[in-house]
Amino acid sequence: MKKFAYIDATSVDTVPSLLGRRFGQAQVLAGGTDLVGELKEYIATPDRVVNLKSIPGLDYIRQEDDGLKIGPLTTLADIETSTLINDQYSVLQQAVSAIASPQIRNVGTIAGNICQRPRCWYYRSEDFDCLKNGGDTCYSVRGVNRYHAIIGGGPCYIVHPSDSAVALMSLNASVKIQGPRGPREEMLDDFFVLPELNIMRENGLRANEFVTEIIVPASKPNTKGIYVKVRERDAIDFAMASVAVTMTMSGNTCSEATVVLGGVAPVPWRVPDVEQFLQGKQITEDVASAAAEMALREADPMSDNSYKIEMTQNIVSQAILDLA
Amino acid sequence: MSSKVHVQARINGDDVEFLCEPRQSLLEVLRDVLGYTGTKEGCNNGNCGACSVILEGRLVNSCLVFGFEIQGKELQTIEGMGSPEELHPVQQQFLENAALQCGICTPGFIVSTKALLDKNPDPTEAEVRYWLAGNLCRCTGYDKIVRAVLDAAKAIKNS
Amino acid sequence: MSTNGYKVIGSRPIRHDGVDKVTGRAKYGADVQLTGMLYGKVLRSPHPHAKLKGIDTSKAEALPGVKAIATAADLPQIADKIADLGEAVVNLRDSSNNVLAYGKVLYRGHAVAAVAATSRHIAAEALELIQVEYEPLPHVTSVLEAMKDDAPILHEDLKMTEMGEETDKVSNIANHFQHKQGDPEAGFTEADMVIEREFETATVHQGYIEPHNATAEWNEEGHLTLYTSTQGAFSVRDQLVEILQIPVSKVTVVPMEIGGGFGGKISVYLAPVAAVLSRKTGHPVQMTMDRDEVFIGSGPTAASYLKIKMGATNDGRITAATAYMAYEAGAYPGSPVGAGAGCILTPYRIPNVQIDGYDVCVNKPKSNAYRAPGATNAAFGSETVVDELAEALGIDPLEFRIKNGVTEGDRRPDGPEHPRIGCIETTEAAKSSAHYGASLEPSSDGKLRGRGVASGYWFNFNGGRSAISVSVNDDGSINMLEGSTDIGGSRASISMMLAETLGLSAKDINPRVVDTDAIGYTDATGGSRTTFATGYAAHATGKALICEMKKRLAQAWEVSADAIDFKDGLFSYKNDEEKRGTFKELSGKIGGTGGPLVAQISTQPDGSGGGAFATHIVDVEVDPETGKVDILRYTAVQDVGTAIHPSYVEGQLQGGVAQGVGWALNEEYIYNTDGGMTNSSFLDYRMPTSLDLPMIETILVEVPNVSHPYGVRGVGEVPIVPPPAAIANAIYRATGTRMYELPMSPPRLASQMAKNA
Repeated sequence: MKKFAYIDATSVDTVPSLLGRRFGQAQVLAGGTDLVGELKEYIATPDRVVNLKSIPGLDYIRQEDDGLKIGPLTTLADIETSTLINDQYSVLQQAVSAIASPQIRNVGTIAGNICQRPRCWYYRSEDFDCLKNGGDTCYSVRGVNRYHAIIGGGPCYIVHPSDSAVALMSLNASVKIQGPRGPREEMLDDFFVLPELNIMRENGLRANEFVTEIIVPASKPNTKGIYVKVRERDAIDFAMASVAVTMTMSGNTCSEATVVLGGVAPVPWRVPDVEQFLQGKQITEDVASAAAEMALREADPMSDNSYKIEMTQNIVSQAILDLA
Repeated sequence: MSSKVHVQARINGDDVEFLCEPRQSLLEVLRDVLGYTGTKEGCNNGNCGACSVILEGRLVNSCLVFGFEIQGKELQTIEGMGSPEELHPVQQQFLENAALQCGICTPGFIVSTKALLDKNPDPTEAEVRYWLAGNLCRCTGYDKIVRAVLDAAKAIKNS
Repeated sequence: MSTNGYKVIGSRPIRHDGVDKVTGRAKYGADVQLTGMLYGKVLRSPHPHAKLKGIDTSKAEALPGVKAIATAADLPQIADKIADLGEAVVNLRDSSNNVLAYGKVLYRGHAVAAVAATSRHIAAEALELIQVEYEPLPHVTSVLEAMKDDAPILHEDLKMTEMGEETDKVSNIANHFQHKQGDPEAGFTEADMVIEREFETATVHQGYIEPHNATAEWNEEGHLTLYTSTQGAFSVRDQLVEILQIPVSKVTVVPMEIGGGFGGKISVYLAPVAAVLSRKTGHPVQMTMDRDEVFIGSGPTAASYLKIKMGATNDGRITAATAYMAYEAGAYPGSPVGAGAGCILTPYRIPNVQIDGYDVCVNKPKSNAYRAPGATNAAFGSETVVDELAEALGIDPLEFRIKNGVTEGDRRPDGPEHPRIGCIETTEAAKSSAHYGASLEPSSDGKLRGRGVASGYWFNFNGGRSAISVSVNDDGSINMLEGSTDIGGSRASISMMLAETLGLSAKDINPRVVDTDAIGYTDATGGSRTTFATGYAAHATGKALICEMKKRLAQAWEVSADAIDFKDGLFSYKNDEEKRGTFKELSGKIGGTGGPLVAQISTQPDGSGGGAFATHIVDVEVDPETGKVDILRYTAVQDVGTAIHPSYVEGQLQGGVAQGVGWALNEEYIYNTDGGMTNSSFLDYRMPTSLDLPMIETILVEVPNVSHPYGVRGVGEVPIVPPPAAIANAIYRATGTRMYELPMSPPRLASQMAKNA
């Protein structure tokens, strides 16, 4: 690990100037479960680490008039065990409880989970000077791409690793961002960026910005959500494929739906076509399989990952049927 | 600027002070700086749980926490759990159930079990497996570990 | 307690080293802290195959805190010398080149240089400053590719050995051997049903949780003391003596507690390097591997290709079998194909059989032993074919195994006759088990369930050398020194055998695993030999103590030693009430009869280690939507000889099953096209967690080994052998899809099911 200095930030306002305007020179430390690994592998080599945990009051789960507010440093464990979230935003609770292990959930934070860096083994290895590490090759294209993207990839084919982001996007969540000129708010739909737009980052945060709140619109009546994650082991693993679905039902009919895929694209992959298709439909097996097929219509697998198409279709259809 | 930071913390009830580099993990500080070698390194990357400790009442992997982060905090390690004369019930049940073979993962499992039973004194087998899934054991197949945890819960309840 | 007439054997005392291990006090290799100690780190090759053109260490040497750098130039060049390390046979010249590459690097992760510095972080920074000039060469990382005539050659001086004779052929195939009995062609003609299948298994790692470590202190008098976690302190000493070319009397190896080995901690990786760095710096040097280094720089076990053909008659008699087995040795010759070939098909009486084994070098880490080395790969193939044959013939798979099972006097395919063994007893116990008798309820949510069985065999090494040294305290307790590494409770089992012999309790024995100066030569803990062979020595030591005690009592009681009886733990002279007592009662009362009571025994048993047989039953549930397999129920049945400490015997079975499940379902080295391992972490190399396994039921079948005074047979290795085949057979019963490749991970199983749909 490269030597660095650390600074305890004392307020939200001062963080942007501590971070500076150039990516890489400083990193925020929240839970640290992702950052420490990146530092150990020399993937991140900052001069400064800005500790956010020294700022009071960034850890909360609050129901307000316009919805749920989650502090950026709220741990995944606190979300997992929150009765408020379990009762009203169950899809988020399900997603969070499927993350890693108890030890990681006890320190990992919600903002950190959304902003974590990809788990692509080429990106994570010092030996590969890949696109995301400033090189000129995506090694997955001619290498082993079993766990890489089947949708939205190119020129880099990472999959976004976050489970919570998939669930939050299905809840139409947004994030509050602090920058040098004050706060701004962005829908998660717009927050994440594809590699074709920015190869070096997975989201629209500038170097001197950080997430200060997660905002989830109030839950609607007769609405349920489900998160299905496929992984090889029942703990520790990131998703091979996942899906978050929410549906508002009146009787057998779906009046509104959100469908977001995880583990298959460089960003949490929302499928608006499918959401529209489901609207007003009676949920039957045929409808669910048609929706599942539609969700993967754009899939363009690589040499080793075409299995993901059917796997993802299957969980999409299963999730829809489970909610009906 | 000095390259080391001064940290004060409470470890197993004792006030402890030390100097460490910012880049030294809590695991490194415990083992190399303070000599608390009961906390083990298995992967140094948060994937095996051998370095589990309880920080401010929460179970964490000490390899993913920096030493400086425990400033002013309360830490419990395996060294603070029971003594040879008076074992903690979890330790006693690990022995009775032969829930260890090589023993390298054992301190992590025992600390994790304590954290589990502190929160949930009467777990089911499924809950035990869920809450211990961050601790890898390569010797036992977990069978005897899970039994030891269930027996420890009973022993604590009956005591 | 026990049904076999023993008082201590068969009971479940708390292990002697238990308290230290549950309180964090037990000292493992990485826990050693010495005054003035430096930290060493290894620089590893990023290339799978390259010429080493030059190493420039000047920048690294200039970094403050760096005290020394070592390369192969610091090791003496040594001649070929073959050594048997207990679980693997190696050429020590290869071992030397493996610990620090000389001339060429042969795999990604091959050690090239090492740094000693005042901190871990400085050592790691220094590695980045070492400049190595490589000339990359074409590489090969699969066994079938490596066997081709036009494959890149790893060793230009390696001539292929063909049926025991060295040829002139330069090849990656180091060795081709054959076992043959009867006439396989005629046997297949006689068969009504013949099935032939091909199999592939991936490279897998032992996955011990404790990384390799070594702490060396080379003092001013030129004596090297080496602290390390190893399966065999004397094996480490042997390797240090050869690699460093120093006299054996100048080396002491201190075995620390060991955090798992499974065959992977017999060969040295860091020890000679730490020694060289200590010699250069005059300081103790500690080296530990990162997890990534454990994967890429230690000794995983072989990937393999197998082609297996078996024929049987309609009434279920196996008439012939052939097996073609090609195993990856890794960078240097010496895969476990020999052991694999000695175990494949061994549970069956087959009159006509031919086995061809190939040991093949590839650009991967030098393969090493892993629990029943070679046998798991082999059984995945043979036990799948056995299952297919039984199915095709309409015979229950366990009935088919019983019908063809071996008994005492039957010949193994590799020649030797089976001693008294429990093959049939084990399979019958499986067949009559509650698990096999219970019906498997179908899943209610569309998942597919199936039950599979498979058997396995492991020879169990027949002993090797073991020494025990005891001294008796005045209170009748005994200090027992041994040279056998205790990986999973052997201090307890060895103590129990000594206690049984002397009529003491297990707690009366105080066992210690001591350094190589303090005890006679003891072979490594491996091959399932320790409880057998060191227990054999403990029994002999007990007998010697009894003999000595009689002599002493003869003096004290003023009677003839021959007239003193020892029975049921009691020494007695005729019916004299004054002249009787237990070992414990009397040991404090023999003062003045000739100094302290001690005994030292070394043994090398010549009987059989007693082959180990296992039959496993598994119920799986396959998610047809994702290809994920869950283990619902698992039962391991095994002939364990006499179970000395049944809890630790069960533990061996359960642990072997868990490793076998990982091998079957998830674990593999995933190689990139550039010849590197992509998944060298516990995140991406997926060993089962507590959520991935159910309780593992065990049925201990006790057929005592006639070659051991207490009937011990090795139990530790065979339980890893059946799981991949049993699970594959269960997956087939659940889905109709036969899997011929390991691991049967969701991507692979989902793809295969889609193909078959």
